[in-house]
Amino acid sequence: MRNAERAEAQTCVTGREDSVVTSERSRAGTKEWIARHSYNVRICHWINVIACGYLLVSGIHIFLDFPELYWGHTGYQGYPAIFKLSDWGISWDDAGAMGNRMWGRNYHFTFAWVFLINGLMYVGWNMVTGQFRDRMLPRRDELTLVNLRADLRDHLRWLARKRTSTTSYGTLQKTSYLLLIFVFVPLLTLTGLAQSPGFTAAMPALLDMFGGRQSARSLHTIGTVLLVLFVVVHVLEVLAAGAFNRVRSMITGKHPLPEEGL
Amino acid sequence: MSKTKTMPTLDLGARPRRVSRRALLSSVPALGGLLLTGCSRDTFVPPMVRGGLIGIADVLTMSTNRLLLSGQPLAREYQPSDIAPDFPTWGQTNPRDEKYQRLLRAGFADWRLPVSGLVERPLSLSLDDIKRLPSRTQITAHVCEQGWSAIAQWTGAPLLQVLNAAGGVTSGARYVVLDTVDGWYEGIDMFEVVHPQTILAYRMNGDDLPIGNGAPLRLRLERQCGYKNLKFLKSIQVVDSMADFGKGTGGINSDWGFHWYAGV
Repeated sequence: MRNAERAEAQTCVTGREDSVVTSERSRAGTKEWIARHSYNVRICHWINVIACGYLLVSGIHIFLDFPELYWGHTGYQGYPAIFKLSDWGISWDDAGAMGNRMWGRNYHFTFAWVFLINGLMYVGWNMVTGQFRDRMLPRRDELTLVNLRADLRDHLRWLARKRTSTTSYGTLQKTSYLLLIFVFVPLLTLTGLAQSPGFTAAMPALLDMFGGRQSARSLHTIGTVLLVLFVVVHVLEVLAAGAFNRVRSMITGKHPLPEEGL
Repeated sequence: MSKTKTMPTLDLGARPRRVSRRALLSSVPALGGLLLTGCSRDTFVPPMVRGGLIGIADVLTMSTNRLLLSGQPLAREYQPSDIAPDFPTWGQTNPRDEKYQRLLRAGFADWRLPVSGLVERPLSLSLDDIKRLPSRTQITAHVCEQGWSAIAQWTGAPLLQVLNAAGGVTSGARYVVLDTVDGWYEGIDMFEVVHPQTILAYRMNGDDLPIGNGAPLRLRLERQCGYKNLKFLKSIQVVDSMADFGKGTGGINSDWGFHWYAGV
């Protein structure tokens, strides 16, 4: 059984060999290296880490200033809420005392711009260089039920390390990145804009799209929680796949090839 | 058949002889914004730009907003059924200022709003004077920077009408500074001043403006956050620079560290 799995994994890797970008002999020794991440991906990835860090902390800061969620166009203390932090033992005053909201607002809107410009740069760059097509778009043969099921099973059984290739992304990985970049992040951005009196005056559709300013605020918050969960899984995957090599490859771009094919 | 939505135009008694901001102010309020402010920096950049990334982001946010708003669209107006049953009162709810309390007891009969600075005829308006000006009623959402929002109906005189009562602004006018009885002040630029929904409200949900909501007169600036919507107005002046007010950032909130442009 184990051998069979191994063999299967082996073909997985060889099947993906066409997507190897370059490989070169390391000057240091016999280790073989592969160029795993382009400049673009590396630069944008770390700018994104900084921007998202600031967005999260400043976002929590803003949320604590009014730690209640509502649905529709209206929401204020005394109106029926869908979530209240005070129900969980933290009073509004306590939450508000965790900081002044200028800090949160200033940094949230500053790093929203960093996040947006960085994201557009990343997407544009990868479109032009064809990286999305080559590395992110799942191939047709990858999108079979059998393959997806195997990929999912491996993830659940913590076999990602053995199964993931150093040269390309897995199918679930590709799919989740694409959904994140082209569906989830745009929605998170729009739910943010839908709370702005300026942007909603210019684009009233933002208000209707999410069923109201307060709905947008609630979705923005729920979306943030989901995004944090995504990052948790992302980091766990990196740990499972070998944190040192993976993180190094996101800095230097180079990843050592496994010694014996896998 | 669909009706094309047009901006309500304000009759301001155009004075075509003057080719000044004032003429533009009084003749083309509906096109107002960009015509009036033209290539003006004020439309896109706060009176004082902060340092660092935050300052860059401030300018990006304001200029993006203003480009998108260049047609001067109205903020969403709601139905009477959307009006909040118990609109929150926030911040100052009853100024302890002695003079204010005296005016309040007299039903604001002796209350006056001085309109001064770069206007043709500086004057002092009573509440009745303001109520006699053409009025506008709007049901809009108050969007607090904290995150809450509530809908109310506001009736008041467009700020433009108030300035017009003083003969309009003279050349060099860049900001309208509003002072309150509790010591707050905010400068707003001409792009907001000419907007039809920028009103000095004296009625809320059909009644006189309650004390907690800023009686007898408050600013409604529907495309910016709550903190720019000053309550308890005391005076208005038209100026060519915000440098001499507070720390020179353009308003008390930005003196404290908030964005001066509060469209987000």
